[in-house]
Amino acid sequence: MASFVPTDPETIEDQRRYTQARLVEVACQDCLAVVSVKKNSDHHTSIQWSERALGACAEFARMDHETSGRAVHTPCQRLSASIEKAVRDGQIPIGAEDGY
Amino acid sequence: MTDTRLLDAGTPPERFARGWYCLGLAREFTDGKPHKVDAFGEKLVVWSDTQGNLNVLDAYCRHMGGDLSQGTVKGDEIACPFHDWRWGGDGRCKQIPYARRVPLRARTQRYPALVHNGMLMIWHDVEGSEPDMEVLPPELPGIGTDEYTDWTWEVLDVPTAHCREIVDNVVDMAHFFYIHLAFPTNFRNVFEGHVATQFMESVGRPDVAGGYGDQDMMLKSEASYYGPSFMINWLEVDYKGFVTEVVLINCHVPTSQNSFKLQYGVCVKKPEGIDDATAEYIGKKYSDMFKGGFEQDVHIWLNKAPVQNPLLCEEDGPVYQLRRWYEQFYVDKADVVAEMTDRFEFEVDTTKANEYWRKEVEENLARKAAEDALAGAGSEHA
Repeated sequence: MASFVPTDPETIEDQRRYTQARLVEVACQDCLAVVSVKKNSDHHTSIQWSERALGACAEFARMDHETSGRAVHTPCQRLSASIEKAVRDGQIPIGAEDGY
Repeated sequence: MTDTRLLDAGTPPERFARGWYCLGLAREFTDGKPHKVDAFGEKLVVWSDTQGNLNVLDAYCRHMGGDLSQGTVKGDEIACPFHDWRWGGDGRCKQIPYARRVPLRARTQRYPALVHNGMLMIWHDVEGSEPDMEVLPPELPGIGTDEYTDWTWEVLDVPTAHCREIVDNVVDMAHFFYIHLAFPTNFRNVFEGHVATQFMESVGRPDVAGGYGDQDMMLKSEASYYGPSFMINWLEVDYKGFVTEVVLINCHVPTSQNSFKLQYGVCVKKPEGIDDATAEYIGKKYSDMFKGGFEQDVHIWLNKAPVQNPLLCEEDGPVYQLRRWYEQFYVDKADVVAEMTDRFEFEVDTTKANEYWRKEVEENLARKAAEDALAGAGSEHA
């Protein structure tokens, strides 16, 4: 049940386009985390995690146990390396489709 | 069938987002008088009791509707100006001076309140849940001590826009060039749980004044919304090698479905070797700089249309994902789904944008130089 309700059905399609289209699954090389990735260009990266992926991330689990806790903004370096490898291997197409 | 793009205005929610709201600096409410605060389409009354605790109730007396914010603080209670009914901070009527007994049902709407980082925070949830301490914004170490300047505090009224407009700024890379007159050179977002963060590095534009600094000012900014309305923005400002740590609070209170009050405050870590008065002056200067920025934002909101279906280009940030995150505060707690809170990271590619903007700014500077030269030549002949 949405709170901000679209009045045009095409808006639902836009929501899907911008949040789900062109996502490619990338498995971390170091743990069981699997995330969805999109790259509109070399410098752009979009990473969608799931609860399951977050639970599987060993690096984040380690940070969670530090006394200062895990800073939400800190990326997982192992996952970043896995994504870079997937890009090098040609698994992730680079380039946007009409802005998404 | 037309291929003209249509704006979907959407329908805004009837309710106000669940979460902690800041009503202002605590020091503003401790003078022993009742204070009126407009929030959530209601009028609230805030007062300080004999213990120094701040209490927040709906301002309308449940007897005959008198306005408690025009009443008097008597002991720990707020007394109605109409018939002197005395209300306690727990929302119960404690005494009716002319009555044998107080009706058992004399309970009014109270808002759980606490003072945090020197600010009055209240919990709002249409479902009436107990305040969630897990999602209270973090404590700011050092603030309130001699290490930092006192908070500056400003309020801007936004009478004709939904407060989602200001939240949208979290992902809006390009508006920093056009509205805040700076080059955003790095821009990244992370959303997880109830926190939405923006990282940005920027440098001021040399061709225009009045934005976030000039070409000698570099900002490193980390800004997080903790819940729907309260943002802490940590800034490292580098001005010609002189680095200042600034904390900016950007928070708002919705006053209706289509209006809100924007509030912001600045604290500066006192630089070494600088006296207090100068440090306060620096704090005021930054507050003025952000004031200009917020006023430019407000001008846009008051004139724009609401958009439920923004059309994005490759250089834009993740508006749809941010709004999906924001949605969690507008549905019943039981209806919050994983996609609203799941971790999401987004790095905006700023390379091309900055290339184009640099070129535009160079052209502006060249044109300005030519005009100045022309004006100079003209005045010599005069």
